[in-house]
Amino acid sequence: MSAVVVTPATARLRWLVRSPRAVCGGFLVALAILAAIFAPALTPYGPNETDFVAVLQAPSGAHPLGTDDLGRDILTRVLFGARVSLIVGVVSVLASLVVGGLIGAVAGYAAGWTDTIIMRLMDVIFAFPSVLLALAITAVLGPSLGNAILAIAVVNLPVFARIARAQTMVVRSLDFVEAKRALGFGPVNILLRSILPNIAAPMLVQGSLLFAAAIITESYLSFLGLGAQPPTATWGNMLRDAIGFLELAPWMAWFSGLAIFFTVLGFNVVGDAMRDHFDPRTT
Amino acid sequence: MPTGQRSGGGDNQLARQLAGRFISLIPILLGVSVLVFLLVRLIPGDPVVALLGMEATPEAIDALRARYALDQPWPVQYLAWLGRLVTGDFGRSIQSGREVFPLLMDALLPTLWLSLAATAVSLLIAIPTGVVAATRRDSVADYAASLLSLFGLSMPSFWIGVLLILLFSIHLPILPASGYVSPGEDFGRFLAHLVLPAITLGTALAAAIMRITRSTMLEVLQADYVRTARAKGMPRRTVIWTHAFSNAQIPIITLIGIQFGQVLGGVVITETIFSWPGIGKLTVDAIFARDYPVVQGAVLLTAALFVLINLVTDIIYTLVDPRLRVS
Repeated sequence: MSAVVVTPATARLRWLVRSPRAVCGGFLVALAILAAIFAPALTPYGPNETDFVAVLQAPSGAHPLGTDDLGRDILTRVLFGARVSLIVGVVSVLASLVVGGLIGAVAGYAAGWTDTIIMRLMDVIFAFPSVLLALAITAVLGPSLGNAILAIAVVNLPVFARIARAQTMVVRSLDFVEAKRALGFGPVNILLRSILPNIAAPMLVQGSLLFAAAIITESYLSFLGLGAQPPTATWGNMLRDAIGFLELAPWMAWFSGLAIFFTVLGFNVVGDAMRDHFDPRTT
Repeated sequence: MPTGQRSGGGDNQLARQLAGRFISLIPILLGVSVLVFLLVRLIPGDPVVALLGMEATPEAIDALRARYALDQPWPVQYLAWLGRLVTGDFGRSIQSGREVFPLLMDALLPTLWLSLAATAVSLLIAIPTGVVAATRRDSVADYAASLLSLFGLSMPSFWIGVLLILLFSIHLPILPASGYVSPGEDFGRFLAHLVLPAITLGTALAAAIMRITRSTMLEVLQADYVRTARAKGMPRRTVIWTHAFSNAQIPIITLIGIQFGQVLGGVVITETIFSWPGIGKLTVDAIFARDYPVVQGAVLLTAALFVLINLVTDIIYTLVDPRLRVS
């Protein structure tokens, strides 16, 4: 008995293709994904290939977005930078969605002391401004891509836990859950098979919005030197490098910023469209 | 029930509610302190070396170990640390040797100036734009405002900062790219230094406030009392600002409160770009200097401020909207 009270996933996704907003946002997201996957095929240069006769060159035929202070091709680094941003977004959001979702569902289902203790812990994480907590975690664990992912996942935990808890409290009192309980199904079975499938939609909407936030937070961390370490190309550390050359080579600052902007814009637009679809009151 | 009696009961209830909120802060603040305490304990290696730096002499290490009860179990260490915090003893900076508490206080004021200026910038942009977008729904102005807010939310603040420096400090050199002058020293130069960081920090905030202003105003504009006010022939301006906007303030105030707290996190980036000597820059500099007592103090202070701002927001909207006092 795995009752799902919402419409099937395919029907829920069909509207996405019909919404002009979602299509525009999806186009930007698709561009970033394609750049990340096909980066090596799209450029003749390597992301860390230096050319000391071509340092700080303005955009030209050979280097459409110019070169940086080490003569590296900026287009190539922007394309490869998409990999880091998307990996951080996917892994950190998925991790916090799964862990936060489980924590929140357990709190909402168990109620009582379990709920109080879990949610107070989440409140403590929530009591930090998110950028600051991510910064503190990476500072303590050491700057690296993995630690940046971990930090962003921890920061987002309470958001998913709160949504999952609230939704679980609604679903647990529905008839089909009561019926399963009366039939003697255990709490693990009820949580995994009846509750989680029914709280997935709002979690995914939140996930799409947090994806954009995760990309921005990663760029902040690598801008400060606490994300993936040089010479790995990330949009954040490219902007950090650009700061020293604003007068000589302003193009170093333009394109990595534009890449973050368009990618985040894409995810925000898709996330907004999803939220409006699932919660029309906000439009 | 006589009116006087009811309002007296309401006041009591308000006082009880506020007291309850204050008390609920205590476990949160304690939780925050545990987390910050554990942060330094999580650093790989000896916390004493982390606190004193690699060049510390064995005597200094022993003295610190004894003073901070570091040979005791963690709960005892935590209580000892908490006891010192309460008396304002945040330890000493490894780098400068100065006490951490005065360092934090010196950095707090520039951060507060910057946060307030960013909030002011964002309100100046967001409230009129949000109200116009709502009153002219589906017009070109509405679409332009929505698009702008989406752009504002999607631009990383450090990129906005860099673009502003490129434009106003390099191409048209009219504003300084970095630094800080205290308002008491030279108010004009203080403002000149404040403009670019405040816009950088205020943009995302403006985008979020504009969105909520628009959506709340749209809701309120459909209310019966607004329709009645219009039907009575009241001037449009009075209907919008007196009847509609004053009722749309609660969600806006809530969001400003939440966002002001996030601004405290955002200052980390903005202060680093503009070399603004506030808490954010202090934190980042301390992280790179591995100056853990300063990191610990700065993170703790910022989180405590964040929690307090959320409480103040709660109190303000309880005061602004009498309906919330009984709910």
